[in-house]
Amino acid sequence: MKTFAFFVLYMLLAVVVILLAVLLGADGAWYFAWLVGTAMIVLIAAAGAAMLDAQEEQAAGRVAGKPEPRT
Amino acid sequence: MINGTVVDLSRTQFAATALYHYLFVPLTLGLSFLLAAMETVYVTTGKPIYKDMARFWGKLFMINFALGVATGLTMEFQFGTNWSFYSSFVGDIFGAPLAIEGLMAFFMESTFVGLMVFGWDRLSRGQHLAVTWLVALGSNLSALWILIANSFMQDPSGAAFNPVTMRMELTSFQELIFNSDAQSKFVHTSIAGYVTAAIFVAGVSAWYMLRNRHMELAKRSFRMAALYGVLATVGVITLGDALGFVAAHAQPTKLAAMEGQWKSEPAPMPFNLIAFPDQARQENHYAIQVPALLSLLVTHSLDGTVPGIDALQRRAALRVENGIPAVEALKVLSKDPANAAALAGFNAHRQDLGYGFLAQRYEADPGKATAGEIAQAARDSIPPVASVFWAFRLMVGLGLLMLAFFVLALLYTLPNVVHRKTWFLKVAVWMIPVPFLANEFGWLTAELGRQPWTVYGVLPTWMSASTHSVAYMAFSLIGFVALYTAFISVEMYLMMRAVRQGPEENWRIES
Repeated sequence: MKTFAFFVLYMLLAVVVILLAVLLGADGAWYFAWLVGTAMIVLIAAAGAAMLDAQEEQAAGRVAGKPEPRT
Repeated sequence: MINGTVVDLSRTQFAATALYHYLFVPLTLGLSFLLAAMETVYVTTGKPIYKDMARFWGKLFMINFALGVATGLTMEFQFGTNWSFYSSFVGDIFGAPLAIEGLMAFFMESTFVGLMVFGWDRLSRGQHLAVTWLVALGSNLSALWILIANSFMQDPSGAAFNPVTMRMELTSFQELIFNSDAQSKFVHTSIAGYVTAAIFVAGVSAWYMLRNRHMELAKRSFRMAALYGVLATVGVITLGDALGFVAAHAQPTKLAAMEGQWKSEPAPMPFNLIAFPDQARQENHYAIQVPALLSLLVTHSLDGTVPGIDALQRRAALRVENGIPAVEALKVLSKDPANAAALAGFNAHRQDLGYGFLAQRYEADPGKATAGEIAQAARDSIPPVASVFWAFRLMVGLGLLMLAFFVLALLYTLPNVVHRKTWFLKVAVWMIPVPFLANEFGWLTAELGRQPWTVYGVLPTWMSASTHSVAYMAFSLIGFVALYTAFISVEMYLMMRAVRQGPEENWRIES
């Protein structure tokens, strides 16, 4: 149920983002948007991988009984 | 007059070649930047797993790249062999972006691909990363120039017909490159490639996770693909809307066909969610409509309207009548280029020259065209509605399915539990063909919607082909289909073999 609620929430978020982009950028400078957007997508994907490393290191630390790092 | 069967066979051959080629291209466009992302993480963190990932997915990229090049080269030759009148008519404009693509983007991409594959042990980390980014940039720049050429066929900006040389000539390179169709189409197509690569990587990673193989690589690849894919899918949908918005102005018949809009209606116009268009009767059967949505989608306002096919056909009939004197003047100018009266007559009607050509299909001397022939020529200006309508809906439907898939993928990968969701991993594997189908439907929407023109409003398809024999065209078509089917089979065999083998164990030792 919780997953479904989040799924609906994320889908709504995607729809809002698309609507905003559509309304703001009917005749947009799309080449420029591609340059910026591609760099952003690549970097976010890269950040996602780094985040997974951190999550696994944290989980491994918990399994080994180490105290979790303070944030 | 070119034999109609030859034209149809030429169209089928080009469509078959393009559809085969377009199975390879999007994966190259998207996977190249995903490789760049993986290698960026490797260089910044120094963790060898990311090098393994870049090398493994790079191997699959290379299989796809090689076969994509093999299928793409023949398309450029087909312009000359099967579409010689088209090439002569618009070659001065159309040839420029294709030449730039070959000399700049393709050479760049091909050169750096070699360095990317063989340079792992010869280049420093930073140098190799730069090479990978350049491959990604080169692949996408290659697509840029091809799509600029294609956009000229959809919206011929920056060019004018010269009645003395009997060819279209470039008037503004800037308009050619920056026209709205080229901009939105390039970005839409390029990031559709990102979505394709993301689904491919997610699907193969899911397959590994289902078998508990290469888990470290699979989980990281899946996470990166999910993030890359969700953002790209949002971008594809946004740019799809932009492309529709552009088409509403530049290609109203394509838009009307995409929406099955037979009749002009007052605002706010309803959207045909599902319908079965009947071209002969010019009406839809069993239509399910959403009120006001069409106005909102194509004009971005509730009080905007777009013309229906009835109005567009009436407008086309007037343009055919106005274009006939231009064709007649052109015949005079072809024999006597200095004839001032013919030149003045041509200039007075030149904006409808293409519509005059539509009438010439039925009457070699269009000045003698009957009212029935003019009406038929006007009917010809409408693309095949049912095919365009359904190709568009299938593309959009599959696009929304991929958005839902990526949202769910994020929900499972961000807390790092995706490897435990067996049902979802199975779905991910079955999702692999979806973006390829969506890409093909998108291409069909764009190109069938352009009919009956090779260059929209300027040059009809029926007069663009070469004067080959039916036997020649049928033989070469069968040859192409057989050859390309073999290519697809080879690609699938090599891909599946590489996936089954997985990342090679000696990669880390080598480094």
